[in-house]
Amino acid sequence: MRVSVRKGLKGLLILGGLYTLTQFLRFCLPCRQPSQGAGEPVTVLVRDGWRVSADVPLVFVGGVPRSGTTLMRVMLDAHPAVRCGEETRVVPRLLGLKLGWAPEKEGVSTKVLDRAVTAFLLQIIAGHGEPAPLLCNKDPFTLKSAKYLAHLFPNSKFLLMLRDGRAAVYSMISRRVTIGGFDLSSYRDCLAKWSRATQAMLTQCTQVGSKRCLAVSYERLVLHPRSTLQTVLKFLGLPWHEGVLHHEEAIGRPGGVSLSKTERSTDQVMRPVNLEALTRWVGHIPPDVMADMDAIAPMLGRLGYDPRANPPNYGQPDPQVLNNTQRVLRGDFKTPVAGIHLKGRPLTSMKGSQTER
Amino acid sequence: MVMMGKLKQNLLVACLVISSVTVFYLGRHAMECHHRIEERSSQPGVLLGGSLGSSTVLRGSRPRGHNLSAPFVYNKDMPLVFIGGVPRSGTTLMRAMLDAHPEVRCGEETRVIPRILAMKQMWSRSGREKMRLDEAGVTDEVLDAAMQAFLLEIIVKHGEPANFLCNKDPFALKSLSYLAKIFPHAKFVLMIRDGRASVHSMISRKVTIAGFDLGSYRDCLTKWNRAIETMYTQCLEASDKCLPVHYEQLVLHPEKWMRTLLKFLDIPWNEAVLHHEELIGKAGGVSLSKVERSTDQVIKPVNVEALSKWVGKIPADVLRDMPVIAPMLSRLGYDPHANPPNYGRPDPKVLDNTRRVFKGEFQLPEFLREQSQSTTATVWQRAHMTCSQQHCIFRRLQRNLTPVRGSSQHATQSQTRHRWTEEDIQ
Repeated sequence: MRVSVRKGLKGLLILGGLYTLTQFLRFCLPCRQPSQGAGEPVTVLVRDGWRVSADVPLVFVGGVPRSGTTLMRVMLDAHPAVRCGEETRVVPRLLGLKLGWAPEKEGVSTKVLDRAVTAFLLQIIAGHGEPAPLLCNKDPFTLKSAKYLAHLFPNSKFLLMLRDGRAAVYSMISRRVTIGGFDLSSYRDCLAKWSRATQAMLTQCTQVGSKRCLAVSYERLVLHPRSTLQTVLKFLGLPWHEGVLHHEEAIGRPGGVSLSKTERSTDQVMRPVNLEALTRWVGHIPPDVMADMDAIAPMLGRLGYDPRANPPNYGQPDPQVLNNTQRVLRGDFKTPVAGIHLKGRPLTSMKGSQTER
Repeated sequence: MVMMGKLKQNLLVACLVISSVTVFYLGRHAMECHHRIEERSSQPGVLLGGSLGSSTVLRGSRPRGHNLSAPFVYNKDMPLVFIGGVPRSGTTLMRAMLDAHPEVRCGEETRVIPRILAMKQMWSRSGREKMRLDEAGVTDEVLDAAMQAFLLEIIVKHGEPANFLCNKDPFALKSLSYLAKIFPHAKFVLMIRDGRASVHSMISRKVTIAGFDLGSYRDCLTKWNRAIETMYTQCLEASDKCLPVHYEQLVLHPEKWMRTLLKFLDIPWNEAVLHHEELIGKAGGVSLSKVERSTDQVIKPVNVEALSKWVGKIPADVLRDMPVIAPMLSRLGYDPHANPPNYGRPDPKVLDNTRRVFKGEFQLPEFLREQSQSTTATVWQRAHMTCSQQHCIFRRLQRNLTPVRGSSQHATQSQTRHRWTEEDIQ
């Protein structure tokens, strides 16, 4: 009997030892990391203990300029869980610089370069505004690098704003919005460039995949804001919030919409969603360009805009939008409303056109 | 039966002892691992120097020989070293000698650092752009934090860890003042060289440098002047954070200058910095790039071969206008009319190195040879062919060591000097 007890005890001890061994081995595995921590996601300290990693949820809003990118981002900004903020201007420039770097010719590997680019972008995107559960960045041309950004930021999503190219081009020419590579004296040139840029971004969007990139039509957004935003918020995994339909009430408020005096769409997004800009372009495009429209801008037809219809039937607006448009036309939003201000300073003069025909 | 039982018992006890010892050891290791993981995800108490404002927290393993239980955190307050200057001024030699120090790692040129610095400079220069950026919330603070993050990731991750991290990209020092601002504990080493030598080097070796027209000595000297003026001004402004080092003095008196340099950088002395050629390609030593243009030179020990190669190669009209084309020459202590100026007399060790180099002792190792090694080969062949004989070596040294006034006329004075240098060497 003594022998078996002894044996039993020894057996238990051995079992216990084996058990603790396996437990500790399990703890040990995470320690075996590559020497320079290259496996860890890039993390930056933005300010006062606010740390942001590369795997943070992010949304990039973009498209060809004058396609409703600012409207989309301010509507998202009105949602308490999202913060986009103004165009950073430097994000697309760094991406452009990076495109010109061939890894074999440089002294650093692609992996290290990618980490450095990630760190820079995180600091800018996070640092230029307030914290929020979902950070967002709106710089129109970033969607040309959607695939690369999707690789750098594994939890990022993309919103590609699409619009009738004729309307976008009319807007940039009539408002004289300088865009690199677009010759503002020629509708033909701008439409061709619009088509090419749209195609490039759509290709990137498709490659990123429908789970991470959603193309949104500007016309659908202004005609049916509720249903369109429902789709967008569902895509982003966010709960619905009525505030997104009244972004004009959240301007200048903390947690709301921050606008830049120098951005070209500021005067427009200060007003509620309306139909003013939908068909302004009609009658302004030179007849020779109109005749060759399909050849100049093949993306028009591919996106579902009839190149020969001036204008196409975009659809019937929701009643609320109709109401907003009437108020805007009446002049309700011409002068700054008391309480609405940009960045804590009262509005002085606003550049930008009023309703012109 | 009893004997067997006792044996079994002892065996079991022995097994138990061994297994408990192993468990204990593994357990301790696991605890360390666990602590390391916890510290990695913990708060900024770990940041070195308690930096205020934005900084990047990067983590990596400590270099060998250090306590592995604490993470190695990188941030903007670390003691970085930036080496730069106009290309062909000895920047690679300087970084190779520092790399030979066991506690320092510079590594190859990154090439991306000067480009992002130039881009940042463009944004800051335009008042209108600065206003637009401020309106967008992209203030100086945010931009600086982003630049720090980018630069740190590159500098820290593109080579092995070390106590003193260093970066060598010649034109990065065009932003010396800015770097000094965003990295408050960084130090700078500005390599200065006789512009005529630098320009001859880039033209004869066909080293493409943006903005330099390799077809014109005049243009290159003008651009050299502008570049070195910018960097030198910033170096003076940074006062005790920047040390200007003359290439000629470094190769003539390496020990004196490396001692000065290491003292300036607060790095303890190590003899290895005087024998960088022995540490090429070794772990913890000097890592060289196949594509960099000075690789074939820095594999050799410090020598005076390149000091006065430029003499007789500069067109006469350029020589004549030299003080006007390149006023920085005299500001930096180089007589614009002397071809060459008297740079000084080399230390005996350097003389010895030079002799060995002329004998052809140092060849480019296999692992550094590129596909297109024809240029390197021809350079080598040329050096070999012109100086395989004893008297040729002396002639070369003599040119290096003795000044010639006015236009280069060594032939007339060869007789007397020849004797002097022979005695000198023997």
